[in-house]
Amino acid sequence: MNKLLTRRELLKGALAGGSFALLAACGAAPQAPPAPAATPAPAAPATEAPAVIGQTGSTVEITYWGSFSGALGEAEQAMVNNFNSSQSDVKLNYEYQGSYEETAQKYAAALRAGTIPDVVLLSDVWWFGFYLAEAISPLDDLAAKAGIDFADYEPVLLNEGVRKGVHYWIPFARSTPLFYYNKEMWAEAGLPDRAPATWAEFGEWAPKLMGDNRVAFSHPNGASYVAWLFQGVTWQHGGRYSTPEFEMTMLDPNTVRAGEFYGATTNTLKWANLSADLNQDFIGGATASMLASTGGLAGITKAAKFEVGVGFLPEETNFGCPTGGSGLAIPSAAPDEKKLAAMQFIKFATDENGSSTWSRSTGYMPVNVKAVQSADMQAFFAENPNFRTAVEQLPKTRAQDAARVFVPNGDQIIGRGLERILVNGEPAERAFAVVNKELEDAAEPVIRDLQAREG
Amino acid sequence: MAVVPTPNPNGMPQTAAWRTRFRREWREWLLFVLFVFPNLFLFGVFNYWPLVYNFYLSFVDWNFLRADILWVGFRNYERVFTSNKFYEILWNTVVFSVSSFIFTLILGLAIALLLNQRLQGRNLVRAVVFSPTMLSGAAIAVIWTYIFDPRYGLLSEILGFVGLPSPNWLTSTFWAMPALIIVYVWKNMGYSVIIFLAGLQTISKDLYDAARVDGANAWERFVHVTLPGLRPIVFFLSVTTVLQSFQAFDIIRVMTAGGPANATNTLIYHLYELGFVSFNAGQAGVIAVVLFIIMFTLTVIQFRFMDQSDHGER
Repeated sequence: MNKLLTRRELLKGALAGGSFALLAACGAAPQAPPAPAATPAPAAPATEAPAVIGQTGSTVEITYWGSFSGALGEAEQAMVNNFNSSQSDVKLNYEYQGSYEETAQKYAAALRAGTIPDVVLLSDVWWFGFYLAEAISPLDDLAAKAGIDFADYEPVLLNEGVRKGVHYWIPFARSTPLFYYNKEMWAEAGLPDRAPATWAEFGEWAPKLMGDNRVAFSHPNGASYVAWLFQGVTWQHGGRYSTPEFEMTMLDPNTVRAGEFYGATTNTLKWANLSADLNQDFIGGATASMLASTGGLAGITKAAKFEVGVGFLPEETNFGCPTGGSGLAIPSAAPDEKKLAAMQFIKFATDENGSSTWSRSTGYMPVNVKAVQSADMQAFFAENPNFRTAVEQLPKTRAQDAARVFVPNGDQIIGRGLERILVNGEPAERAFAVVNKELEDAAEPVIRDLQAREG
Repeated sequence: MAVVPTPNPNGMPQTAAWRTRFRREWREWLLFVLFVFPNLFLFGVFNYWPLVYNFYLSFVDWNFLRADILWVGFRNYERVFTSNKFYEILWNTVVFSVSSFIFTLILGLAIALLLNQRLQGRNLVRAVVFSPTMLSGAAIAVIWTYIFDPRYGLLSEILGFVGLPSPNWLTSTFWAMPALIIVYVWKNMGYSVIIFLAGLQTISKDLYDAARVDGANAWERFVHVTLPGLRPIVFFLSVTTVLQSFQAFDIIRVMTAGGPANATNTLIYHLYELGFVSFNAGQAGVIAVVLFIIMFTLTVIQFRFMDQSDHGER
């Protein structure tokens, strides 16, 4: 009897204790600090953290969420280390969040949870959604305080992040597509050592580049942003994805013509295929050429066992090349002193020196005009002419159509349509009719939010 | 705690006996609540509440970011159910789940029968067969992406050895789904092998001996002794395998991302796309409701079936 009681009591006690601990934990939750205070804790309590500038001996600690890993991640970490050792007012912690998509997803979740970073890297297709939700700060005042002169930036790149005359998104790891080719295979085929000037010219070259287990050209799949590369091809054919006012134009005869051309490359001409891992196929010699981002230039050049050639995108009736990549934004809910500290970092990362260093170590565009003209960069171009090609193409590029960058998942919607054309051999008109409808549906809430935000 | 004196049902007035019983029952009930509360609470917070909230989300227009949540009634349902894409994705899901279920069970049983024999080194083989189940789905998916590569992949080498060309596994709308099913079955078969093995060992040897005496050959013994003996195991595995296959996400995310051209887009992946790429909470909510209904119905049917067959056997 006695023994039984003891065991029961023990159990009851344990259970009750467990439940209360649980209850206590739940009770504590609503008392968590409100959103702005819940940002990663500074080394010193926030109340004691003085303004960044003008005071010495204290440090504002801020968090930067980015999407770079591997070689790009090392370059990013080096930049962060340089920033931290260059001054003592701000201590920046770099936190890798995964791909562009994952970074944006985590930022969205962080906004709900109230645990936001102080600087966030957002790609071309993500920043606008956060702008609409008023989740990123206007930067003009902060830039003025941090001593940033917007005239130093490449206008094509800077203006993409401007809404109603206000800057929200500062270009950082910006890129454009390039035509990459394998110089060894080019030489074997007896082709001139340059990228084709037009698609018609490449059509003549392509059969000479075919081989066993090898195609002349490869497309990436939808998940690897085929819709970004096809944006340029659409413009080259005189078409577009949409008007800036969100009228979808996938069924514009020239857009359809571009789609038919893409489909022909894999289905009738058969000199191209769809690759599951484009860069790897190019490096491994499974394809002789591809369209790919400038951002991969350093990595591909290093990994390839052959000499890599790059050139402007081929033309059709026009030249067409989009910009892409990512830029930096500051969360609206960040405390003021952290916003200013974040702006200090943005300045460091995109000024003449920062932009030049980042560009040379990665292949991304120098976003700063002074960086392009700097002695360092010019010397680098002389040694690495491929990097110069990317910069020379930049003035000919333009911002992408709203359908891809401002419509949620617009990139993947178009990408899936292209896969149907490339893989299934569906007529472009049929595939794009589906895409057009899906884009229209997806754009609906954006148009409404935009109306509310900008009037 | 006071020690309750042992009641004497004969010598005690009825009200007192009733009170004692009530007090005891009440205590037991309290104890029961204390026991189930922690579990129920966690289930409530992490399962039931999201379920209820998801039903609500399926009726709104919201992108997780906007402060205002718009009530739109059945519009999300209308959008989802009138798009061809939804039916394409539903069909993909059925193909994936049914194939995974059939192959996992048939191959699992075949291997279990083999490993139930007295073979040399069978413990090692059992461990090898089970090991993919323990590995991370994402890691497996990355490795299989290389294995499937039509140019430098291991599988193309093997196919080449027997004179067959390698299909473009992951970039062909025809082959991408079979490729995913192969990986999924390979990864999850080990689990069913182990469960089948456990089941096989519960079947009494006497039954086999009796069947032998009656002149049954190996096939007849399998059909009339082994299979009926495994019936509860088959039901258990069919419930778990089907439900699991509906939730397969990691290998799809890594190997095909639902492509090419939606060929491997399943309900759960589409839910991810709508919710976390398009930030369309409403339509993602609709897909979650559809998934919930399908899985709930399947579970109910399977449990009914199981009950009936149990009664039948008794």
